[in-house]
Amino acid sequence: MPRPRIMKHVRLLVLTEDLPQASLTLAQTESFHPDTRPPLEPALSGLPGRTYRDTYYQARSRLDKIAKLIAVPEAPMLDPKLDQVRVVEPAELVQLDDWLGQIWQKASGYEEELRRLDDQERLIREQEAALANFQHLQIDLRMLRNKTRFLDFYVGIVPRENLRQLEGAVGLADHLLHVYMQRGDQSHVVIIGPTGTTEAQLSAVLDAADFQPLPIPEGLDDDPQQLRQDLDAQHLANRVRHQSEYERIAEWSAPFLERLVAARRTLMLAEPLVALDPSVRSSGHLVHLAGWVPARAVDDLTARLGQSLALPFDLRVRDPLPTERKLVPTVTTKNRLLEPFAMLVQQYGIPEYGEVDPTPLFAVTFLLMFGSMFGDVGQGAAIAGLAWWLRARLGRFWLFGLMAGLASMVFGFIYGSIFGYEEVLPALWMSPIHDPILMLKIALGYGVVFLTIACLIAIYNRLVIKNWWGALFGHHGIVNLVFYLALVWGGLHLGRGESFGTVPTFLVSTALAALAWYAWRHLEAPLGEKILVVFIETLETVIGYISNTLSFLRIAAFSLNHVALSIAVFTLAGMMGAFGHVVTVILGNVFILVLEGGIVMIQVMRLQYYEGFSRYFAGEGHAFAPLKLRRGSAPS
Amino acid sequence: MMSNAATHAYLNTRVAVMATRLFDPDTIGQLSQMQLPELAERFGLAALLDEQLSARTRGRAIEQTLIQVLLAELQVLVRPMPATERAVVLAWGRKYALFNLKTLIRGKLYALDQQEIRDSLFDLPTIIDPPDQELLRAENVPELLRQLEAGPHRLIARQAREAYEQRREPFALEAAIDQRYYAGLARQVMQFYDTNLHPLQQLIGAELDRTALLWLLRFRFSYQFSPSETFYQLVPSMRLLHRARLLTLVNVEDLTGVLAALPPPLDTLLSECRTIIDVQRRMGRHVAHAAQRLLLQSPSAVARALAYLMLREMDLYLLFALIQGRLLNLSTEVVDIALEIIEPTCPWNLAPTGGTAARHRAAAA
Repeated sequence: MPRPRIMKHVRLLVLTEDLPQASLTLAQTESFHPDTRPPLEPALSGLPGRTYRDTYYQARSRLDKIAKLIAVPEAPMLDPKLDQVRVVEPAELVQLDDWLGQIWQKASGYEEELRRLDDQERLIREQEAALANFQHLQIDLRMLRNKTRFLDFYVGIVPRENLRQLEGAVGLADHLLHVYMQRGDQSHVVIIGPTGTTEAQLSAVLDAADFQPLPIPEGLDDDPQQLRQDLDAQHLANRVRHQSEYERIAEWSAPFLERLVAARRTLMLAEPLVALDPSVRSSGHLVHLAGWVPARAVDDLTARLGQSLALPFDLRVRDPLPTERKLVPTVTTKNRLLEPFAMLVQQYGIPEYGEVDPTPLFAVTFLLMFGSMFGDVGQGAAIAGLAWWLRARLGRFWLFGLMAGLASMVFGFIYGSIFGYEEVLPALWMSPIHDPILMLKIALGYGVVFLTIACLIAIYNRLVIKNWWGALFGHHGIVNLVFYLALVWGGLHLGRGESFGTVPTFLVSTALAALAWYAWRHLEAPLGEKILVVFIETLETVIGYISNTLSFLRIAAFSLNHVALSIAVFTLAGMMGAFGHVVTVILGNVFILVLEGGIVMIQVMRLQYYEGFSRYFAGEGHAFAPLKLRRGSAPS
Repeated sequence: MMSNAATHAYLNTRVAVMATRLFDPDTIGQLSQMQLPELAERFGLAALLDEQLSARTRGRAIEQTLIQVLLAELQVLVRPMPATERAVVLAWGRKYALFNLKTLIRGKLYALDQQEIRDSLFDLPTIIDPPDQELLRAENVPELLRQLEAGPHRLIARQAREAYEQRREPFALEAAIDQRYYAGLARQVMQFYDTNLHPLQQLIGAELDRTALLWLLRFRFSYQFSPSETFYQLVPSMRLLHRARLLTLVNVEDLTGVLAALPPPLDTLLSECRTIIDVQRRMGRHVAHAAQRLLLQSPSAVARALAYLMLREMDLYLLFALIQGRLLNLSTEVVDIALEIIEPTCPWNLAPTGGTAARHRAAAA
């Protein structure tokens, strides 16, 4: 049975001066998972890393903002052998932050100028669109450009969302609003009304509605070609200004580009102390750090701290307390083949510390069930081939597809099936359709074994944490298992046409009575309610185990279904001509692969999660995430 | 996944249980007699008893706690809701995120210290307030304005830019934020087409009627806006004060005329009002009655949940008003006016009370 990695709780006391070095050393060991609980000693209430953290975040934010404007190259990978790993003292961080602040102030000015140019460009484009639209109108556009003695004209754009309210508001100021074009989320409008007292009111409304006027240029009616050239010239001038702005930025930033790369590296080196901040407490010059470390890494951690810290320190190591079990992180499966299965397990939860990691069992039973329900050499090869072909896109998950395909192929050889053809390949055993009853019996037997293993793991998980009563009487505990196995035993007798049997009857009755007694003792309710609840719970135990076992019949059902679908495809293909036959067989196989493959996958996951995990896997743990030093790439 | 019927049965039960927490008139009477230690004990408000903190800090801590109580209940209620129902309740609760947005923009415009701004922000659950760290980290006003223009608040960026460039009071900006909040809420309600539609229209419509009328009166007669400017700031309701009616009302020249031109039942409800504060109090009660009616009788679970939250919010602000009154050592009479136990004899009495300020804030948001 896979045993969890033993963890130790460590408490480190260092002097404030050594805190940055201690955090760096802990990060280099990659074995320290911070414990964020505050220490019990009330004196240790200071937060020595808080200022450092705030400075770090401000500096990082500034660097990120600068990097959006200036292409700051990635920092080269850190090489510990070249002594590139060093402590970033608080004073150095503050100095860096101040410098980045000065750079950002200047960069912000450049960014503002670029924004202004973008805004101008957008307005020119809107103006172009508006003028293109006007050219089709049979009106004198000079009228729109100038106020007349009696009429006001406003031509411009307004966010579409503000349009309806603006329409009502301009109406109240005795003006009319006409929408002549919609572009994206902007509406192009003309507002016309009498010159006079309402002008000031309207101006306030237009401001509130984010109305932007689009000037009507001179010469629109006289020489459209000239106007087009003017607008093109404006575009060009804007682009040139844009370009020269970028050149100015590049020229300005060139002298300190290297320093920005160095800043990126300094921030990477400062990260460990920032990550540790929630678990660092202090009193005067004494700093307290606590965390979880794998037992086999403790010696190395102690030795490294001894080498790197200049001032005295105190390291206490102890076993996790029973009450701390939920706080201890779990080192999750790292095996490459099991990794995709671990991802599926983690969808359900992460094993608690001490709890059996179900990943290996999950992987084996998953492949066994998927293969037996979808056994076909050709279709399995197609799944495996597809997973290999798409391996770049699927990431680590491609191995999952490959193994599922291989499992399907293995069972394809056992069943003698290739793309549904049963006469091409000699079966190592037989096709499921040849003896459906036997298939159903095997599926039932598999279900009994699966549920028994699940109960045994549930019992083990409770024994590990010394939950004796839970292991004996709890859900899927020893008494439940005795009841279930006795029920299976009696069921076998009945299946052979015999009576249920005295011993099975005795075991079933005694186990149920024990469960009922246990439930009765732990229930605090009026007598009537107690009787009802205990009766229902006992009945549920009986029905639950029977229905859960029958649930595994689906394994046989789907293996039969697979063959039946193939027969249906061949029957249809048989009605076609030679070409139609080939097309039907190909399309039929694609149909089976996609539809049945998907259904089988869901059914297997259901059996794993519902019949398996719900019995023995709490999944309420959290993953071991040690403090690490990033060696490359920009802060994210 | 629960079925629709099961979801609503669960939600209705939850709301029914929670509704027992609402204050009845007797409870309000009892509360008004309590001193700070008793209030702290009854509502678990430890910050009230911390003598070392200033009255302002304690008041702020209490306000934060009460908002968290409300939003925690909101989270419990939205959990089993389907997406559309959840969206409308969250849209209502987003007003607290807008408090933060206003504080943030105002703080940046007035060049307040980053830490000071951060301390003034409410600590809200992420379901209500996706934290906008970029806005908070903006180091100067142009940077803040660029952030606004590039993000989901781009439609208010123009007002923000004008407030900055023309050194104006950011009134227009805050009005735009409020306007978009209520318009968004109205849009959410109109997403429904089933049995939820009518009750939600009643509930949110009552709230929109209240807001539209108060804004209309304030903009027209307190700030002396033109009809056109006033109308632009209003959000039409889907109940009584709809678009066409607002277009008529903004053209009326005095408060009495507006109140006389209101549709029933608002005309009789507000016929004796002489000041905007009178109107505010009566409209507040009107919304509370609509919410109570829906809480008791509505077949729509989401409308009942929202009605409960609105009533609970009113209660918590009432409690906050009481606590503020005690913290600031205000006279019993003033506190009782804030709690609406007695009628004010003079509208100016209301000005300094925390309760009115709090209600004002709730109303404005």
